Order: sequence, then C-alpha cells, then structure tokens
Amino acid sequence: MALEDYKADMERCSQCSYCKWIPFDQVKSWRFAKGCPSIAYNNFLSYSARGRYAVALSLLNGQSTYSDRVVDIVYKCTTCGSCDVSDKICRYNLEPLEMIHELKFRLVEDGQVLPQHTALIEHLRKENNMMEKPAAGRGDWAEGLDIKRVPGESAEVLFHAGCRFSYDEELQETARTAVTILKNAGVDIGIMGENEPCCGGRAYDMGYKEEFTRLAENTIKAWTAAGVKTVVTPCADCYHAFNRLYPPLGAKFEILHTVQYYDRLIKEGKLKFSKTVPMRVTYHDPCHLGRRGEPYVPWEGKEKKIKNQIVIYEPKKPRYNGAWGVYDPPRDVLKSIPGIELVEMERIREYAWCCGAGGGTRETYPDFSNWTATERIEEAKATGAEAIVSACPWCEMNFKDAINTSGDKMKVFDVTNLVKQAI
Amino acid sequence: MALAKEAYRELEEVVGKEYISDDPALLDCYRYPLSHTAIHIGPYYRVYTPRGAAVLLPGSAEEVQGIVKVCNKYKVKFKPSSTFWSAWGFPLEDDTIQLDMRRMDKILEIDDKNNYAVVEPHVIGATLQAEAMKVGLNTHIHGPGASCSCLASATALGGLGPDTLYMGHHNENLLGVEWVMPDGEILKIGSVGSGLGWFCCDGPGPSLKGLVRGMVGTNGAMGVFTKCAIKLYPWPGPATLPVEGKPPAYKAVLPDNLRAYTLGFPSWKAWADSCYMIFDSGIGYVAHRQFNMFGRDLKGAMVRILSDPTRTLSDIEELLKDPEVQKMTEDMKRDYQIVLAGMTPGDIEWQDKALDKILEETGGWKVKAMLEPDLFNWSLLYMIRLGHKNLNLVFGGGYDGCFGLGGTPDFGTSGEPARVEQVTAFKVEWEKKGNVVACGGDGMMGGIGGMGGGGHSLWENFTHFDPADKASTEGTFEFFNATAKYGAEKGLGPGMEKMNDYARWTDGYTTPKEIRDRILGSAAQPEAFRYQRKFKETFNPNDLGDGYYRTLDDPDE
Ligand SMILES: Cc1cc2nc3c(=O)[nH]c(=O)nc-3n(C[C@H](O)[C@H](O)[C@H](O)COP(=O)(O)OP(=O)(O)OC[C@H]3O[C@@H](n4cnc5c(N)ncnc54)[C@H](O)[C@@H]3O)c2cc1C
Ligand code: SF4
Ligand code: SF4
Repeated sequence: MALEDYKADMERCSQCSYCKWIPFDQVKSWRFAKGCPSIAYNNFLSYSARGRYAVALSLLNGQSTYSDRVVDIVYKCTTCGSCDVSDKICRYNLEPLEMIHELKFRLVEDGQVLPQHTALIEHLRKENNMMEKPAAGRGDWAEGLDIKRVPGESAEVLFHAGCRFSYDEELQETARTAVTILKNAGVDIGIMGENEPCCGGRAYDMGYKEEFTRLAENTIKAWTAAGVKTVVTPCADCYHAFNRLYPPLGAKFEILHTVQYYDRLIKEGKLKFSKTVPMRVTYHDPCHLGRRGEPYVPWEGKEKKIKNQIVIYEPKKPRYNGAWGVYDPPRDVLKSIPGIELVEMERIREYAWCCGAGGGTRETYPDFSNWTATERIEEAKATGAEAIVSACPWCEMNFKDAINTSGDKMKVFDVTNLVKQAI
Repeated sequence: MALAKEAYRELEEVVGKEYISDDPALLDCYRYPLSHTAIHIGPYYRVYTPRGAAVLLPGSAEEVQGIVKVCNKYKVKFKPSSTFWSAWGFPLEDDTIQLDMRRMDKILEIDDKNNYAVVEPHVIGATLQAEAMKVGLNTHIHGPGASCSCLASATALGGLGPDTLYMGHHNENLLGVEWVMPDGEILKIGSVGSGLGWFCCDGPGPSLKGLVRGMVGTNGAMGVFTKCAIKLYPWPGPATLPVEGKPPAYKAVLPDNLRAYTLGFPSWKAWADSCYMIFDSGIGYVAHRQFNMFGRDLKGAMVRILSDPTRTLSDIEELLKDPEVQKMTEDMKRDYQIVLAGMTPGDIEWQDKALDKILEETGGWKVKAMLEPDLFNWSLLYMIRLGHKNLNLVFGGGYDGCFGLGGTPDFGTSGEPARVEQVTAFKVEWEKKGNVVACGGDGMMGGIGGMGGGGHSLWENFTHFDPADKASTEGTFEFFNATAKYGAEKGLGPGMEKMNDYARWTDGYTTPKEIRDRILGSAAQPEAFRYQRKFKETFNPNDLGDGYYRTLDDPDE
C-alpha cells in the first residue's frame, strides 16, 4: 500500500474526534478520559489521527509542503493505536493507524527524517540493535546461563530476548530470569545469543519500512534454517513484530509472549508458586501486546459497495480493533501469585493509555515521552497500587525514567520479576 | 491571506509561541470538507472551508480577551470552536483567526445541592456525565453525542437530543455564561453577574440570555464563551457505568430501575398517539427514534452487527436474509427507543406499567429481539452515554438529514398517506439512482421530545453517501435540491438540507450578500434578522464575527 491508497479514507474521515479519547462508553472520569497522548500533549488538532489524515491529504493535494511543523506532527506520534480502537467504535471502513504508518514511511522515503532517528537507523544497519551498542555484545546478558545456543544446538522453543533486554544492564536480569523459569518448567528452550537479530518493529513504527523488511527477511531466513517452530519473547514490541508484521512476509512460526507461556504452564500445573508476594499492583497493557497484539489474519481482497454506497470489503476483511489482544494471560498470571492483589486502572486493555516509549518518540521527544509515562504513573497511583507491572522492557524503562524525574515512589516490575519472587 | 506580522507577534505575546501556528498544513486541519456530511449546506465534492490565518490555543478568559483585543485593533475576524464536530465552527473567510478552545477543559464545579455544573469550553458530554454520575446526577448530552462540548451546545449552537424529553434542550439548561464580547470586554450573564452564583441565566444580573443564546445560538459569530453553568438532573444509577464486552459491542448491566426498550407500532397514528401519552404521563428518561438512522430496511442487521464484535458491514447482506433479522426489522418498522429510569423501585414499576398501558391502548409492543439481555444492555448503554454517534457516518463517511419534519409528533405522521410515508416513497425513487445508500427510504431519526417535557419532535431523514465518490456526492446534492423543492411544495417546512445556505456558499465561503438577503428576507419573520443587525452594530462594532449570525441589512427595514 502507498499513502495515495488511503486518500479515500482521508476523505471519509468524519472529523468526529473520537480518536482523541478512549471509547466514550469506558470513560469513568474527567481525569483519565483521554486516549491519544499526541494531541493531549500538543493540543493542535493536527496531532490526532483526524489531524494526521488532514495533513496527509493536504500534502497529497499539494495544498502544503513539508515544513518543520509537518515533520513534528508526523513523528510526534507513539503509534500506540489508541486512535484506531476509538475510531472503530463507529467506523468499519477506516484504518487510521495504517495511514499513520504510511505517512511516516512517506516522510522517510522523501528524506524528511529526524537526526536522532537517522543515527539510530545507521547504527541498526551496522550493529543490528536499537540500543546503539556493539553487535558482538548482544549475547552477553546470558553469560553463565546453561541454555542451548541456536543454531548450533536444537531446541523446541527459541527465546528471543530483544534489543532492550539484551543490552540494558538494569533489565538483563529479567531476561535471565524469564529464560530460566521456562527452562526449569521443562521447556526445551534455546537462545541465539550474539546471533539474535533485531526484530525491526521499532524501526517500522519510526517509519523505516525498508529497514524493517530487511531485518524481518533475515530473521525469517535464520529461524527457518535453524528449524525454529516456536518463538517466545519477553518484549511486547518484538511480539508484535513477529506476530503481526512477519506473517505477511511469509513467516509461519508460533509466537508467544512470556506471559502467555507462563499462563499456559501455570494452567498445566508445570509452573507452581510456593511463596507469597504481598503486594497491591496494577497492570499496564503494553500497546504492542494489547490492542496491537491481535493475531494476524491473512486477507487479500478489495473494496466493494453494497446497497449503492455502503463501503465494505470482499471477501470480509479482518477487523483489528483491539478486541482480541493479549489481555487476560498477564492478569491471570498475576492473580495466580499468592498475595498479589491486582487493582485496575481506569484505562485498560484495548483502551489503555500508552507508556510513551513507542514510535521513536522516546529517542526524539523526551519531554513528550516522559510526560506520557508520568500520566500513566498518576493513573496507577490513583488505584492505590504500590507497583505498576508491565510485560515490555520499553514501557518499564519509560516508567522508571518518569519516576526518576518526578521522584515518585511507585515501583515498576515486569510480570517475570513477580513470578520469580513467588517461585 | 497572511496575517500582518505585527498582529501575529502581538497574538503570540498573548498566548505564547507554543500555542499559535500559521503553518499551512496545520491550518489545513482546521478546514472542514464540505463533502463529508453536507452539514446542511452541500455536499460539495472536494470543497473545503477556507484556510484560516492562524490557529490559537488560549488557556484562559484573559488570554481570549487579549486575542479579541488584538483582533479589534487589526480588524481581523475570529472564530472560536470547542470540539469541531461540524462546519459551523470553522472560518468563513481566509484571513480569519481560529480559536481552538481545547486547553480550557476544566469542570470547575459540580454543585450537587443545587444540581449544576460550571464548565469550560472543552468539557465534553462523556466527561461531565462521568463526573456527575459520581454524585447521583446526569447531564443532557445533545444529539451529536458524548464527544461534543457541553458549553458549545448550551451557549452557541443546537442542543437537542435523545434525553431532551427528561433533561431539556440545552438552551433551557444554561444557567449563566462568562462572555468575552466581540469588543473584548468580559461580561458575566445572569445571577453570576451580580456575584450571586450560577443559578439563573436571566438574572438577577445582566439578563442577556436571549441575545447570546436564543433558540439557535450565535454560532461562534458573536464573541467567545469561556465558561458556563449547566443544569444537571437526577441519575438513579451507579456512580460508574459498569461496562463490559469487547469493542465496539460494549454493554452495561445496570440495576433494574434502568430499562431500555424499543417500541414498535402498528400504524403511524399509533406511533404519534403513544408520544402524546408519554408526554402526558411524564414517563421516560431518554426517548428517541435512534437506530432508524441506518434506515428502515437495514436497522435490524445493523443492530446485530454493532452488538457483536465479530461482525462487520460485510455481514449486512447475509443478515438481511436471516428470518430472525427480518422479523426484528419488521417489528421495528415504526419504532423508537425509550429508556425508563425509576427514581425508586415503586417509580420504575409505575413507569413500566404506564408504558404497558400506553402500548395496550395504541396496539404497540416492546420489540422482542431488543429484550434479549445482550441487546437490552447494549442499547441501554448506547442511549445513556451516547458514545457511538459517529455511527451517523458509518456507511461511507457522508451523511446528512433531509426534510426535517419538525413539529408536534403527528406532524410527520398525519396526511394521506402519512407524510413520513410520502417522503419515504420520494426517497426510495432517488435511492434507485444509486448515489445514496438504499436503506428503504425511511432513515428518519430524531427526538420524541424536542424540548423538556416533550411536545415537539423532529425527524431528519438520514441520507448516507460516499464523500470520496464524486458521483455519490453530486448525486446526493441533486437529491437535496429535489427534497428542498418537494418539501416547499408539500408544506413540510424548511428542510434541514439547506439550513445553512444563508451563511456558507458552494465554495465554502460567505454566502454572497444578495443571496443571503434573499434567503433571510423571505423567512417567516425577517424582522428578527434586522433586529439582530442592531445587536451586531452595538455589540460587535468592528464586525469581527461571521455570516452564521443572521443579520439582514436589506433596504426594506
Ligand atoms: C452529524 C451531525 C449531527 C448533528 N446532530 C445534532 C443533534 O442531534 N442535535 C443538535 O442540537 N445539533 C445537531 N447537530 C448540530 C450540532 O449542534 C453541532 O454541529 C454541534 O453541536 C457542533 O459541534 P460541537 O459541539 O463540537 O461544537 P463546536 O464545533 O465547538 O461549535 C459549535 C458552534 O458553536 C460555536 N462555539 C463553540 N465553542 C464556542 C465558544 N467557546 N464560544 C463561542 N462560540 C463557540 C462554534 O463557532 C460553532 O459555531 C449535528 C451536526 C452534525 C454535523
Ligand atoms: S497512534 Fe497513538 S499517539 Fe499516534 S495518533 Fe494514534 S492515538 Fe495518537
Ligand atoms: S475517529 Fe476516525 S473518523 Fe473520527 S475523526 Fe478520528 S480518524 Fe476521523
């Protein structure tokens, strides 16, 4: 698809502004009713999905040209997909998030890029990671662990740590714990270590589609050669890339997030808890595991009209509106830990507020990213929880950074950390 | 046309660099495509409202005042808008300053003893309702739904909706306004103007409600409203709506004192009689012919799609063949939705009994399919929160109401055949041309009570089209020309399809003076518009508003 293919969508956007809010049925207060961090922070209409449709149309129609403001509008979006969920409360023939991606792709194609992104992508090309670290150190996180190395050894399940878990020293322990828990529960698991590729998902959300495709094709090749069937990852971004973006490129692997695997093992009686973890926690749905974590459904078809002017698709097109994301497994895992009291924030599941780390905003707009995370911490605090738990290293880091800035006392955990405490 | 550099700099000083922009692409987000909903003036394919000169995001009444003063100094027009649902809120001229009021978004007060809230412009129906419910109160949400500004519909435009029967038209709910007048002075209207609190818009204190609000409102053409007080009503339900289900098929299981029914009737006479009986009995919290906006033939299928997260519009044709859906659609042919809210257990039993009696006397029924728990709970939530109103545009993104059978309930239902059937038959013929959605001719949607307590009802015949399709858009325009003519010939009253042609013309700009004078001059009471011209001269000496304020300066005064 190209940006031009979304022109009819741009003209069909009904300017309702639903994309700025969480679905109205779910509004529980004035304080936590907003859905789109971009317009909530930047205020001008252009920083909503509605506005991005209008900006794209203006560019396509030649009514305006690139400016610093246009670049700012396009990239100051976390690609969290909240707009997409709220849009689809009423609309069945618009794809705002797809268009937002296409708009980013177009700017990258046209060389309208941000220096911070360019540096990251240059590094990614050379060193195969989004952390600006040397490729050679990618497997260091697993040093000393007795875990099979793929492709040299064969394993039923491949554990993909992802860039942040591999390199972030504060978080590496979580990756070590996750893979150990799975191994101890009897899973025949292996890692690729320094050969593990970057999933490319973050490059995709920044607008670097070509880079993503190159990485995805390499990964698919490497996994296929190694005989990989099942991949488990503790990173929501990687999960989304493998689960949603790889299948159209021919990938046919079973993809699981660690929380899904834990949930499965707990329900099969293979993962048991012996310790109490007395803690009141709240769970933050990572966008890429929640609303963007719906399974990929192959579809090829075209637009058609029935009853003269009702726009539908033939054959019936899969509808990604957040209904089928991964919401219950992490909650079920937390609820099964003795002593944990799970309390919910106001914005959860498909209408969760974003952590602010996505779409390349953490790297380029630290104030915006930090504000978005702080908003979430405020919401978590309102529940009376002492900790916010997530299932994504990017969310975790952004929350930790926000807390460091604000001096809050809220603790931040990955689900894995609490599972470990209970074993 | 660009704003003078000096004026831009002065405006920037008022709001700060961060809150002003004249970037062309950003300004294009503040233009309304006149193709997408006709908004009662088109539709015109690929025509947009003019590009403003700059957009400003004021954060306080003082900043608004500062902006208005600069506008007066440089004689620049300004247009405030709060939630931007329609073309009314956008400039009529290129060199207009657009005020986007979204930074002023606070609920300043909810007084649960005196049942009112004081709000800023960007408080919307959903947030005010959520907060009011926490203290056992509720707010009127007007027809465009929960995304719209409470202040805009209370002070500046429109204001009727499904709950008007119980909670009034929003012009009835306005208890006070803070007004930055077109010359930059700030005036507080009503009791608050005398320092007595926000309890009455007609004083003691400056009693200018009729001037600033009236029936239709000043449509952003006479200064800026920066706060207002809105009357709230009892809410006999939980503090938070207990919503469950997958999107978009959310539903709420509410206590038994809250009930949602779809009523069906054997004839249009029975339909109208039931409305009068509802007004007389005083029952009902929400009453609206809502789901008929999808059309007489399609509404059963659409209700099934909207309440099932696995379905899409691609299921319409299959559902239309389903005998159960056919039966439901037939049962709902002459219908409306009603929500009963019992303030006590005795009250709900009495209301339900009264409703049964009305149905018995009129031969009507509670549509059985809509009593299934899932549909019951879905429609209850839908009608109370009104959070799905972009469904107006679900089919292709374009809709507008035509005809507009406004009056007592039997205005639309009397005649031989009933007027509603006449306009249905007329529309069916146009549907055959293929440019608008074929929905069975009757997409008539509207309130059972157009003012508090009932008495008036208004239907617009929903016409759905594809704004991205030239033939569809232009075919719809032709259809609206035909409906306007037909309505005039048949004495159906002014159609909604041409409602704003006095203000905005085919190119999106101000209607040419001679046409405007002709339109307003041929109104039933043109004197009102001459009188408004005097208001404008007094309150808006530099004429910095726009043509949405109806003034007539023809020579016949
Ligand atoms: C699809 C559709 C359906 C509709 N259905 C209904 C209906 O059922 N019932 C009904 O009553 N109306 C209806 N309308 C008309 C409706 O009232 C307005 O379109 C709607 O209220 C405007 O949207 P808004 O609330 O977002 O207000 P805005 O777009 O913010 O503004 C509405 C008007 O008020 C002015 N305004 C806004 N804020 C201020 C302010 N702070 N100071 C001064 N002026 C201000 C604007 O300039 C504009 O003229 C409908 C319109 C459309 C397009
Ligand atoms: S993806 Fe997220 S940040 Fe971007 S426009 Fe949508 S809601 Fe806003
Ligand atoms: S919710 Fe969808 S239709 Fe409505 S303004 Fe946003 S993008 Fe447009």
